[in-house]
Amino acid sequence: MDVINLKDKKDISLLGIDKSVSFVISENDNASIFIDGLSDDNELNFDVKDGAYLHISFLADKPVKNLKILANVGQNAEIMIHFADFSTDENTANVVINLNKENARATWHLASLASEKDNKHISVSVFHNSPLTFARVDNYGVAKEESKLVFSGTSHILNGSIKSKTEQNAKIMVFDPKSDAVAKPILKIDENDIEASHAAAVGKINDEHLFYLTSRGLSVEDARLLITLGYLKPIFKGFDDDKVERINALIGGRL
Amino acid sequence: MATLKIENLHVEVEGKPILKGVNLSISEGETVALLGPNGHGKSTLLNVIMGHPRYKITEGKIFLDDVDLTNMTTDERARAGLFLALQNPPEVPGVINSDFLRAAVNAKIDEHLSTYKFYKLLDGAVKEVKMPFDLATRALNEGFSGGEKKRNEILQLIMLQPKIAMLDEIDSGLDVDAIQIVADVIKNEKAKGHGFLVISHYARLFDLIQPTRAIVMINGRIVLDGGVELIKRIDKNGYEFIKTELGIEIAKEETNMNTVSIGSCAVREVTKK
Repeated sequence: MDVINLKDKKDISLLGIDKSVSFVISENDNASIFIDGLSDDNELNFDVKDGAYLHISFLADKPVKNLKILANVGQNAEIMIHFADFSTDENTANVVINLNKENARATWHLASLASEKDNKHISVSVFHNSPLTFARVDNYGVAKEESKLVFSGTSHILNGSIKSKTEQNAKIMVFDPKSDAVAKPILKIDENDIEASHAAAVGKINDEHLFYLTSRGLSVEDARLLITLGYLKPIFKGFDDDKVERINALIGGRL
Repeated sequence: MATLKIENLHVEVEGKPILKGVNLSISEGETVALLGPNGHGKSTLLNVIMGHPRYKITEGKIFLDDVDLTNMTTDERARAGLFLALQNPPEVPGVINSDFLRAAVNAKIDEHLSTYKFYKLLDGAVKEVKMPFDLATRALNEGFSGGEKKRNEILQLIMLQPKIAMLDEIDSGLDVDAIQIVADVIKNEKAKGHGFLVISHYARLFDLIQPTRAIVMINGRIVLDGGVELIKRIDKNGYEFIKTELGIEIAKEETNMNTVSIGSCAVREVTKK
Protein backbone atom coordinates (compact mmCIF):
# COMPACT_ATOMS: atom_id res chain seq x y z
CA MET A 1 0.00 0.00 0.00
CA ASP A 2 1.36 3.44 -0.94
CA VAL A 3 1.79 5.91 1.92
CA ILE A 4 1.74 9.59 0.98
CA ASN A 5 2.65 12.42 3.34
CA LEU A 6 0.38 15.30 2.45
CA LYS A 7 2.73 18.10 3.50
CA ASP A 8 3.07 20.53 0.57
CA LYS A 9 0.81 18.37 -1.62
CA LYS A 10 -1.93 20.03 -3.64
CA ASP A 11 -3.36 18.02 -6.55
CA ILE A 12 -3.33 14.22 -6.45
CA SER A 13 -4.56 11.95 -9.21
CA LEU A 14 -5.17 8.38 -8.16
CA LEU A 15 -4.75 7.12 -11.71
CA GLY A 16 -1.77 4.83 -12.05
CA ILE A 17 -1.11 4.32 -8.33
CA ASP A 18 -2.18 1.58 -5.91
CA LYS A 19 -5.88 0.99 -5.38
CA SER A 20 -5.19 1.30 -1.66
CA VAL A 21 -3.45 4.44 -0.47
CA SER A 22 -2.73 5.83 2.98
CA PHE A 23 -2.37 9.57 3.43
CA VAL A 24 -0.79 11.13 6.48
CA ILE A 25 -0.85 14.70 7.68
CA SER A 26 1.67 15.19 10.45
CA GLU A 27 1.05 16.85 13.80
CA ASN A 28 0.15 20.54 13.56
CA ASP A 29 0.53 20.58 9.76
CA ASN A 30 -2.05 22.04 7.37
CA ALA A 31 -2.89 20.75 3.93
CA SER A 32 -5.55 21.37 1.32
CA ILE A 33 -5.59 18.82 -1.47
CA PHE A 34 -7.65 18.00 -4.53
CA ILE A 35 -8.10 14.36 -5.46
CA ASP A 36 -9.46 12.98 -8.69
CA GLY A 37 -8.91 9.90 -10.82
CA LEU A 38 -11.04 7.74 -8.50
CA SER A 39 -11.76 4.26 -9.87
CA ASP A 40 -13.32 0.96 -8.78
CA ASP A 41 -12.17 -0.54 -5.46
CA ASN A 42 -10.18 2.48 -4.31
CA GLU A 43 -9.47 2.26 -0.60
CA LEU A 44 -8.24 5.54 0.87
CA ASN A 45 -7.09 5.97 4.45
CA PHE A 46 -6.43 9.38 5.97
CA ASP A 47 -4.54 9.78 9.21
CA VAL A 48 -4.95 13.30 10.56
CA LYS A 49 -2.50 13.62 13.43
CA ASP A 50 -3.01 15.76 16.56
CA GLY A 51 -3.39 19.45 15.85
CA ALA A 52 -3.40 18.98 12.06
CA TYR A 53 -5.89 20.41 9.57
CA LEU A 54 -6.76 18.63 6.35
CA HIS A 55 -9.12 19.82 3.62
CA ILE A 56 -9.83 17.38 0.80
CA SER A 57 -11.79 18.15 -2.34
CA PHE A 58 -12.81 15.04 -4.24
CA LEU A 59 -14.09 15.09 -7.79
CA ALA A 60 -15.60 11.86 -9.09
CA ASP A 61 -16.42 12.07 -12.78
CA LYS A 62 -16.21 8.41 -13.82
CA PRO A 63 -17.81 5.19 -12.55
CA VAL A 64 -16.62 4.40 -9.03
CA LYS A 65 -17.64 1.07 -7.55
CA ASN A 66 -16.86 0.05 -4.03
CA LEU A 67 -15.02 3.22 -2.94
CA LYS A 68 -13.89 3.11 0.68
CA ILE A 69 -12.70 6.15 2.60
CA LEU A 70 -11.52 5.86 6.19
CA ALA A 71 -10.35 8.87 8.21
CA ASN A 72 -8.87 8.88 11.71
CA VAL A 73 -8.77 12.29 13.34
CA GLY A 74 -6.55 13.12 16.33
CA GLN A 75 -6.73 15.59 19.19
CA ASN A 76 -7.55 19.18 18.21
CA ALA A 77 -7.32 18.05 14.60
CA GLU A 78 -9.83 18.70 11.83
CA ILE A 79 -10.78 17.11 8.56
CA MET A 80 -13.02 18.87 6.04
CA ILE A 81 -14.15 17.01 2.95
CA HIS A 82 -16.00 18.31 -0.10
CA PHE A 83 -17.06 15.51 -2.41
CA ALA A 84 -18.42 16.43 -5.85
CA ASP A 85 -19.96 13.26 -7.18
CA PHE A 86 -20.72 13.50 -10.87
CA SER A 87 -19.77 9.90 -11.51
CA THR A 88 -21.98 7.72 -13.65
CA ASP A 89 -23.40 4.18 -13.70
CA GLU A 90 -23.52 1.98 -10.62
CA ASN A 91 -21.62 3.50 -7.74
CA THR A 92 -21.14 2.69 -4.10
CA ALA A 93 -19.12 4.63 -1.58
CA ASN A 94 -18.62 3.88 2.07
CA VAL A 95 -17.11 6.67 4.16
CA VAL A 96 -16.14 6.24 7.82
CA ILE A 97 -14.70 9.03 9.95
CA ASN A 98 -13.38 8.27 13.44
CA LEU A 99 -13.06 11.20 15.79
CA ASN A 100 -10.63 9.49 18.10
CA LYS A 101 -9.46 12.16 20.50
CA GLU A 102 -10.76 15.26 22.28
CA ASN A 103 -11.75 18.23 20.12
CA ALA A 104 -11.44 16.25 16.90
CA ARG A 105 -13.64 17.78 14.20
CA ALA A 106 -15.04 16.63 10.87
CA THR A 107 -17.23 18.25 8.24
CA TRP A 108 -18.44 16.44 5.15
CA HIS A 109 -20.27 18.06 2.24
CA LEU A 110 -21.50 15.98 -0.66
CA ALA A 111 -23.16 17.06 -3.89
CA SER A 112 -24.28 14.12 -5.98
CA LEU A 113 -26.01 14.01 -9.33
CA ALA A 114 -27.64 10.82 -10.56
CA SER A 115 -29.13 10.68 -14.04
CA GLU A 116 -30.19 8.23 -16.77
CA LYS A 117 -29.95 4.76 -15.16
CA ASP A 118 -27.31 5.56 -12.51
CA ASN A 119 -27.65 3.62 -9.31
CA LYS A 120 -25.74 5.24 -6.46
CA HIS A 121 -25.49 4.43 -2.78
CA ILE A 122 -23.36 6.69 -0.62
CA SER A 123 -22.94 5.95 3.06
CA VAL A 124 -21.23 8.40 5.42
CA SER A 125 -20.71 7.41 9.05
CA VAL A 126 -19.03 9.31 11.86
CA PHE A 127 -17.95 7.82 15.17
CA HIS A 128 -17.47 10.16 18.12
CA ASN A 129 -15.01 8.17 20.17
CA SER A 130 -13.90 10.97 22.52
CA PRO A 131 -15.36 13.96 24.39
CA LEU A 132 -15.87 17.39 22.77
CA THR A 133 -15.82 16.07 19.25
CA PHE A 134 -17.80 17.72 16.46
CA ALA A 135 -19.15 16.46 13.14
CA ARG A 136 -21.43 17.82 10.48
CA VAL A 137 -22.54 15.71 7.52
CA ASP A 138 -24.36 17.42 4.64
CA ASN A 139 -25.49 15.26 1.74
CA TYR A 140 -27.25 16.98 -1.15
CA GLY A 141 -28.37 15.16 -4.25
CA VAL A 142 -30.42 15.34 -7.41
CA ALA A 143 -31.98 12.23 -8.96
CA LYS A 144 -33.04 12.56 -12.60
CA GLU A 145 -34.63 10.34 -15.22
CA GLU A 146 -34.54 6.65 -14.19
CA SER A 147 -31.74 6.94 -11.67
CA LYS A 148 -31.64 5.84 -8.07
CA LEU A 149 -29.81 7.73 -5.33
CA VAL A 150 -29.47 6.55 -1.74
CA PHE A 151 -27.85 8.42 1.16
CA SER A 152 -27.28 6.52 4.36
CA GLY A 153 -24.89 6.41 7.28
CA THR A 154 -24.77 6.55 11.04
CA SER A 155 -23.55 9.26 13.34
CA HIS A 156 -22.66 7.47 16.54
CA ILE A 157 -21.76 9.20 19.79
CA LEU A 158 -20.19 6.58 22.00
CA ASN A 159 -20.45 6.35 25.75
CA GLY A 160 -18.10 8.84 27.44
CA SER A 161 -17.95 11.25 24.50
CA ILE A 162 -19.48 14.03 26.57
CA LYS A 163 -20.24 17.47 25.10
CA SER A 164 -19.86 16.13 21.60
CA LYS A 165 -22.03 17.52 18.85
CA THR A 166 -23.17 15.83 15.69
CA GLU A 167 -25.36 17.05 12.82
CA GLN A 168 -26.71 15.16 9.81
CA ASN A 169 -28.52 16.69 6.90
CA ALA A 170 -29.64 14.77 3.81
CA LYS A 171 -31.68 16.26 0.99
CA ILE A 172 -32.48 14.77 -2.39
CA MET A 173 -34.46 16.45 -5.12
CA VAL A 174 -36.36 14.00 -7.27
CA PHE A 175 -36.63 15.36 -10.78
CA ASP A 176 -38.63 12.89 -12.83
CA PRO A 177 -41.47 10.42 -12.21
CA LYS A 178 -39.17 7.42 -12.63
CA SER A 179 -36.35 8.77 -10.43
CA ASP A 180 -35.98 7.10 -7.07
CA ALA A 181 -34.31 8.44 -3.96
CA VAL A 182 -33.89 7.41 -0.35
CA ALA A 183 -32.33 9.39 2.50
CA LYS A 184 -31.94 7.50 5.75
CA PRO A 185 -29.52 9.09 8.19
CA ILE A 186 -29.29 7.31 11.56
CA LEU A 187 -28.26 8.74 14.93
CA LYS A 188 -26.94 6.41 17.64
CA ILE A 189 -26.44 8.08 20.97
CA ASP A 190 -24.84 6.31 23.96
CA GLU A 191 -24.11 9.44 26.02
CA ASN A 192 -26.44 11.99 27.66
CA ASP A 193 -24.48 15.21 27.70
CA ILE A 194 -24.31 15.79 23.94
CA GLU A 195 -26.05 17.65 21.10
CA ALA A 196 -27.38 15.82 18.06
CA SER A 197 -29.67 16.68 15.19
CA HIS A 198 -30.62 15.15 11.91
CA ALA A 199 -32.95 15.92 9.06
CA ALA A 200 -33.78 14.29 5.79
CA ALA A 201 -35.96 15.43 2.93
CA VAL A 202 -36.75 13.74 -0.33
CA GLY A 203 -39.06 15.50 -2.70
CA LYS A 204 -39.72 17.05 -6.03
CA ILE A 205 -39.12 20.71 -6.88
CA ASN A 206 -41.30 22.92 -4.74
CA ASP A 207 -44.26 24.09 -6.87
CA GLU A 208 -44.30 27.52 -5.21
CA HIS A 209 -40.60 28.02 -6.05
CA LEU A 210 -41.33 27.05 -9.65
CA PHE A 211 -44.26 29.47 -9.83
CA TYR A 212 -42.18 32.27 -8.34
CA LEU A 213 -39.37 31.88 -10.85
CA THR A 214 -41.67 31.44 -13.85
CA SER A 215 -43.69 34.49 -12.75
CA ARG A 216 -40.57 36.51 -13.58
CA GLY A 217 -40.44 35.17 -17.13
CA LEU A 218 -38.17 32.13 -16.78
CA SER A 219 -39.37 29.07 -18.67
CA VAL A 220 -40.16 26.02 -16.56
CA GLU A 221 -37.03 24.33 -17.91
CA ASP A 222 -34.80 27.29 -17.00
CA ALA A 223 -36.41 27.59 -13.57
CA ARG A 224 -35.83 23.89 -12.88
CA LEU A 225 -32.24 24.21 -14.01
CA LEU A 226 -31.63 27.23 -11.78
CA ILE A 227 -33.17 25.50 -8.75
CA THR A 228 -31.17 22.33 -9.41
CA LEU A 229 -27.93 24.26 -9.78
CA GLY A 230 -28.79 25.95 -6.49
CA TYR A 231 -28.90 22.51 -4.92
CA LEU A 232 -25.53 21.44 -6.25
CA LYS A 233 -23.58 24.70 -6.39
CA PRO A 234 -22.82 25.11 -2.67
CA ILE A 235 -20.16 22.41 -3.19
CA PHE A 236 -18.21 24.93 -5.30
CA LYS A 237 -16.90 26.73 -2.25
CA GLY A 238 -14.71 23.69 -1.51
CA PHE A 239 -12.91 23.91 -4.85
CA ASP A 240 -10.45 26.23 -6.60
CA ASP A 241 -11.72 28.20 -9.59
CA ASP A 242 -10.17 25.90 -12.21
CA LYS A 243 -11.87 22.88 -10.63
CA VAL A 244 -15.16 24.77 -10.41
CA GLU A 245 -15.00 25.22 -14.18
CA ARG A 246 -14.59 21.46 -14.57
CA ILE A 247 -17.55 20.79 -12.28
CA ASN A 248 -19.67 23.39 -14.08
CA ALA A 249 -18.94 21.65 -17.38
CA LEU A 250 -19.90 18.28 -15.87
CA ILE A 251 -23.17 19.67 -14.51
CA GLY A 252 -23.93 21.44 -17.78
CA GLY A 253 -23.46 18.21 -19.68
CA ARG A 254 -25.78 16.27 -17.42
CA LEU A 255 -28.70 18.65 -16.75
CA MET B 1 -51.57 51.64 -24.35
CA ALA B 2 -51.68 48.20 -22.68
CA THR B 3 -54.91 47.16 -21.04
CA LEU B 4 -55.51 44.22 -18.75
CA LYS B 5 -59.06 43.03 -19.12
CA ILE B 6 -60.81 40.38 -17.03
CA GLU B 7 -64.13 39.09 -18.31
CA ASN B 8 -66.58 37.12 -16.18
CA LEU B 9 -63.82 35.19 -14.42
CA HIS B 10 -64.88 32.15 -12.43
CA VAL B 11 -62.21 30.26 -10.53
CA GLU B 12 -62.16 27.30 -8.19
CA VAL B 13 -59.62 25.57 -5.99
CA GLU B 14 -60.01 21.86 -5.39
CA GLY B 15 -63.61 22.09 -6.51
CA LYS B 16 -64.44 25.07 -4.28
CA PRO B 17 -65.54 28.24 -6.13
CA ILE B 18 -63.49 31.29 -5.10
CA LEU B 19 -64.06 33.86 -7.84
CA LYS B 20 -67.63 34.07 -9.10
CA GLY B 21 -67.70 36.32 -12.11
CA VAL B 22 -65.04 39.02 -11.90
CA ASN B 23 -65.03 41.82 -14.47
CA LEU B 24 -62.22 44.34 -14.42
CA SER B 25 -60.20 46.54 -16.72
CA ILE B 26 -56.88 48.26 -15.94
CA SER B 27 -54.94 50.35 -18.40
CA GLU B 28 -51.31 51.37 -18.34
CA GLY B 29 -51.00 54.54 -16.31
CA GLU B 30 -53.85 53.58 -14.00
CA THR B 31 -53.32 52.63 -10.36
CA VAL B 32 -56.19 50.61 -8.98
CA ALA B 33 -56.60 49.91 -5.26
CA LEU B 34 -58.10 46.47 -4.63
CA LEU B 35 -59.87 46.33 -1.28
CA GLY B 36 -61.91 43.73 0.55
CA PRO B 37 -62.07 41.67 3.71
CA ASN B 38 -59.69 38.73 4.17
CA GLY B 39 -60.65 35.54 2.39
CA HIS B 40 -62.85 37.09 -0.30
CA GLY B 41 -60.63 36.38 -3.30
CA LYS B 42 -58.25 39.34 -3.72
CA SER B 43 -54.99 37.36 -3.63
CA THR B 44 -56.65 34.59 -5.64
CA LEU B 45 -57.49 37.08 -8.37
CA LEU B 46 -53.88 38.26 -8.61
CA ASN B 47 -52.52 34.71 -8.63
CA VAL B 48 -55.01 33.63 -11.29
CA ILE B 49 -54.10 36.57 -13.51
CA MET B 50 -50.44 35.51 -13.15
CA GLY B 51 -51.34 31.90 -14.04
CA HIS B 52 -50.79 30.05 -10.75
CA PRO B 53 -51.40 26.36 -11.54
CA ARG B 54 -53.23 25.77 -8.25
CA TYR B 55 -56.28 27.67 -9.48
CA LYS B 56 -58.68 26.38 -12.11
CA ILE B 57 -60.49 28.82 -14.36
CA THR B 58 -63.93 27.37 -14.99
CA GLU B 59 -65.29 30.30 -16.99
CA GLY B 60 -64.16 33.67 -18.31
CA LYS B 61 -61.15 35.21 -20.03
CA ILE B 62 -58.06 37.29 -19.25
CA PHE B 63 -56.70 39.62 -21.93
CA LEU B 64 -53.63 41.85 -22.14
CA ASP B 65 -53.58 44.15 -25.16
CA ASP B 66 -56.41 42.08 -26.62
CA VAL B 67 -54.18 38.99 -26.48
CA ASP B 68 -55.95 36.14 -24.71
CA LEU B 69 -53.76 35.08 -21.76
CA THR B 70 -56.26 32.61 -20.32
CA ASN B 71 -54.45 29.51 -21.54
CA MET B 72 -50.93 30.94 -21.43
CA THR B 73 -48.32 29.63 -19.01
CA THR B 74 -47.07 31.79 -16.14
CA ASP B 75 -43.76 32.60 -17.84
CA GLU B 76 -45.53 33.59 -21.06
CA ARG B 77 -47.74 36.00 -19.09
CA ALA B 78 -44.67 37.48 -17.40
CA ARG B 79 -42.93 37.97 -20.72
CA ALA B 80 -46.14 39.54 -22.08
CA GLY B 81 -45.79 42.25 -19.42
CA LEU B 82 -47.43 41.11 -16.17
CA PHE B 83 -45.76 41.09 -12.78
CA LEU B 84 -46.92 39.89 -9.37
CA ALA B 85 -45.18 40.93 -6.16
CA LEU B 86 -46.09 38.16 -3.76
CA GLN B 87 -47.47 38.62 -0.28
CA ASN B 88 -45.04 35.99 1.03
CA PRO B 89 -42.14 35.62 -1.39
CA PRO B 90 -40.63 32.14 -0.96
CA GLU B 91 -37.06 31.46 0.08
CA VAL B 92 -35.33 29.51 -2.68
CA PRO B 93 -32.19 27.88 -1.27
CA GLY B 94 -29.05 27.93 -3.37
CA VAL B 95 -30.44 30.14 -6.16
CA ILE B 96 -28.37 33.30 -6.08
CA ASN B 97 -30.53 36.42 -6.26
CA SER B 98 -28.45 38.09 -8.97
CA ASP B 99 -28.31 34.88 -11.08
CA PHE B 100 -32.09 34.74 -10.89
CA LEU B 101 -32.49 38.42 -11.75
CA ARG B 102 -30.16 38.10 -14.70
CA ALA B 103 -32.05 35.07 -16.02
CA ALA B 104 -35.34 36.93 -15.55
CA VAL B 105 -34.15 40.09 -17.33
CA ASN B 106 -32.65 38.07 -20.19
CA ALA B 107 -35.85 36.03 -20.55
CA LYS B 108 -37.65 39.20 -21.66
CA ILE B 109 -35.18 40.38 -24.27
CA ASP B 110 -33.78 38.84 -27.45
CA GLU B 111 -30.21 39.98 -26.99
CA HIS B 112 -28.85 39.14 -23.55
CA LEU B 113 -27.38 41.92 -21.44
CA SER B 114 -23.62 42.04 -21.04
CA THR B 115 -22.27 41.53 -17.51
CA TYR B 116 -21.47 45.24 -17.30
CA LYS B 117 -24.91 46.39 -18.42
CA PHE B 118 -26.60 43.96 -16.07
CA TYR B 119 -24.45 45.13 -13.16
CA LYS B 120 -25.32 48.77 -13.92
CA LEU B 121 -29.02 47.92 -14.05
CA LEU B 122 -28.83 45.96 -10.81
CA ASP B 123 -26.76 48.60 -9.06
CA GLY B 124 -29.26 51.31 -10.02
CA ALA B 125 -32.23 49.27 -8.83
CA VAL B 126 -30.52 48.32 -5.56
CA LYS B 127 -29.86 52.00 -4.88
CA GLU B 128 -33.44 52.94 -5.72
CA VAL B 129 -34.86 50.52 -3.15
CA LYS B 130 -32.04 51.36 -0.71
CA MET B 131 -31.19 47.69 -0.28
CA PRO B 132 -27.71 46.50 0.78
CA PHE B 133 -25.98 45.21 -2.37
CA ASP B 134 -24.97 41.99 -0.62
CA LEU B 135 -28.64 40.89 -0.61
CA ALA B 136 -28.41 40.68 -4.39
CA THR B 137 -25.54 38.23 -4.09
CA ARG B 138 -27.17 35.96 -1.51
CA ALA B 139 -29.57 33.06 -2.03
CA LEU B 140 -32.96 34.27 -3.21
CA ASN B 141 -34.87 35.58 -0.16
CA GLU B 142 -33.10 33.08 2.08
CA GLY B 143 -32.64 34.55 5.53
CA PHE B 144 -34.09 37.88 4.37
CA SER B 145 -36.27 39.75 6.86
CA GLY B 146 -39.90 40.37 5.87
CA GLY B 147 -39.03 43.92 4.81
CA GLU B 148 -36.01 42.79 2.79
CA LYS B 149 -38.16 40.28 0.91
CA LYS B 150 -40.62 43.03 -0.01
CA ARG B 151 -37.83 45.34 -1.17
CA ASN B 152 -36.49 42.47 -3.25
CA GLU B 153 -39.89 42.18 -4.93
CA ILE B 154 -39.79 45.88 -5.77
CA LEU B 155 -36.20 45.50 -7.01
CA GLN B 156 -37.45 42.87 -9.46
CA LEU B 157 -40.28 45.17 -10.53
CA ILE B 158 -37.78 47.92 -11.37
CA MET B 159 -35.56 45.56 -13.32
CA LEU B 160 -38.33 43.84 -15.27
CA GLN B 161 -40.38 46.94 -16.16
CA PRO B 162 -43.78 45.22 -16.53
CA LYS B 163 -46.69 46.88 -18.29
CA ILE B 164 -49.05 45.99 -15.45
CA ALA B 165 -47.75 45.22 -11.95
CA MET B 166 -49.84 43.55 -9.27
CA LEU B 167 -48.75 44.10 -5.69
CA ASP B 168 -50.17 41.83 -3.00
CA GLU B 169 -49.86 43.54 0.40
CA ILE B 170 -46.46 44.91 -0.50
CA ASP B 171 -46.62 47.15 2.60
CA SER B 172 -47.07 44.38 5.16
CA GLY B 173 -43.94 43.97 7.25
CA LEU B 174 -42.50 47.30 6.14
CA ASP B 175 -41.56 50.10 8.49
CA VAL B 176 -42.52 53.70 7.76
CA ASP B 177 -39.30 54.51 5.90
CA ALA B 178 -39.51 51.38 3.78
CA ILE B 179 -43.14 52.11 2.83
CA GLN B 180 -42.00 55.54 1.65
CA ILE B 181 -39.26 53.95 -0.48
CA VAL B 182 -41.72 51.47 -2.03
CA ALA B 183 -44.23 54.27 -2.65
CA ASP B 184 -41.55 56.38 -4.36
CA VAL B 185 -40.70 53.50 -6.69
CA ILE B 186 -44.37 52.98 -7.53
CA LYS B 187 -44.77 56.68 -8.29
CA ASN B 188 -41.69 56.60 -10.53
CA GLU B 189 -43.03 53.60 -12.42
CA LYS B 190 -46.49 55.19 -12.67
CA ALA B 191 -44.87 58.21 -14.26
CA LYS B 192 -43.47 55.91 -16.95
CA GLY B 193 -47.04 54.90 -17.74
CA HIS B 194 -47.07 51.48 -16.07
CA GLY B 195 -50.33 50.22 -14.59
CA PHE B 196 -50.78 48.93 -11.03
CA LEU B 197 -53.29 46.74 -9.23
CA VAL B 198 -52.54 47.05 -5.53
CA ILE B 199 -53.91 45.13 -2.55
CA SER B 200 -53.43 46.71 0.86
CA HIS B 201 -55.33 46.84 4.12
CA TYR B 202 -53.85 50.19 5.04
CA ALA B 203 -54.74 53.64 3.78
CA ARG B 204 -51.20 54.86 4.39
CA LEU B 205 -49.77 53.22 1.25
CA PHE B 206 -52.69 54.46 -0.83
CA ASP B 207 -52.20 57.99 0.54
CA LEU B 208 -48.64 57.86 -0.75
CA ILE B 209 -49.23 56.31 -4.17
CA GLN B 210 -52.55 58.05 -4.93
CA PRO B 211 -54.58 55.46 -6.84
CA THR B 212 -56.77 56.55 -9.72
CA ARG B 213 -59.57 54.12 -8.78
CA ALA B 214 -60.64 51.83 -5.96
CA ILE B 215 -62.51 48.55 -6.29
CA VAL B 216 -63.97 46.34 -3.57
CA MET B 217 -64.12 42.56 -3.75
CA ILE B 218 -66.71 40.74 -1.65
CA ASN B 219 -67.64 37.05 -1.87
CA GLY B 220 -65.50 36.55 -4.99
CA ARG B 221 -67.04 39.41 -6.96
CA ILE B 222 -66.18 43.06 -7.48
CA VAL B 223 -69.13 44.85 -5.90
CA LEU B 224 -67.91 48.44 -6.04
CA ASP B 225 -65.78 50.28 -8.57
CA GLY B 226 -65.32 53.94 -7.78
CA GLY B 227 -63.12 56.81 -6.76
CA VAL B 228 -60.45 56.97 -4.11
CA GLU B 229 -62.96 58.26 -1.56
CA LEU B 230 -63.89 54.59 -1.10
CA ILE B 231 -60.49 53.98 0.51
CA LYS B 232 -61.05 56.69 3.12
CA ARG B 233 -64.54 55.45 3.83
CA ILE B 234 -63.45 51.83 4.33
CA ASP B 235 -60.44 52.89 6.37
CA LYS B 236 -62.76 54.84 8.68
CA ASN B 237 -65.86 52.63 8.83
CA GLY B 238 -64.93 49.17 7.56
CA TYR B 239 -67.08 47.14 5.16
CA GLU B 240 -70.38 47.20 7.07
CA PHE B 241 -71.91 49.75 4.67
CA ILE B 242 -71.71 47.17 1.86
CA LYS B 243 -74.33 45.17 3.72
CA THR B 244 -76.55 48.08 4.71
CA GLU B 245 -76.38 50.03 1.45
CA LEU B 246 -75.97 47.30 -1.16
CA GLY B 247 -77.73 44.48 0.67
CA ILE B 248 -74.77 42.12 0.20
CA GLU B 249 -74.18 39.68 3.03
CA ILE B 250 -70.44 39.45 3.68
CA ALA B 251 -69.41 35.82 4.09
CA LYS B 252 -67.26 35.09 7.13
CA GLU B 253 -63.70 33.98 6.46
CA GLU B 254 -63.36 30.23 6.93
CA THR B 255 -60.70 29.13 9.37
CA ASN B 256 -59.49 25.63 8.74
CA MET B 257 -57.81 23.42 11.30
CA ASN B 258 -54.09 23.13 10.73
CA THR B 259 -53.11 19.92 9.06
CA VAL B 260 -50.96 17.93 11.45
CA SER B 261 -48.71 15.26 10.14
CA ILE B 262 -46.93 12.92 12.45
CA GLY B 263 -43.79 11.60 10.89
CA SER B 264 -40.73 10.01 12.33
CA CYS B 265 -37.63 11.76 13.43
CA ALA B 266 -37.84 14.97 11.36
CA VAL B 267 -38.08 12.99 8.14
CA ARG B 268 -40.25 14.63 5.53
CA GLU B 269 -41.09 12.73 2.42
CA VAL B 270 -42.95 14.30 -0.46
CA THR B 271 -44.84 11.88 -2.61
CA LYS B 272 -43.63 11.78 -6.18
CA LYS B 273 -46.13 12.55 -8.86
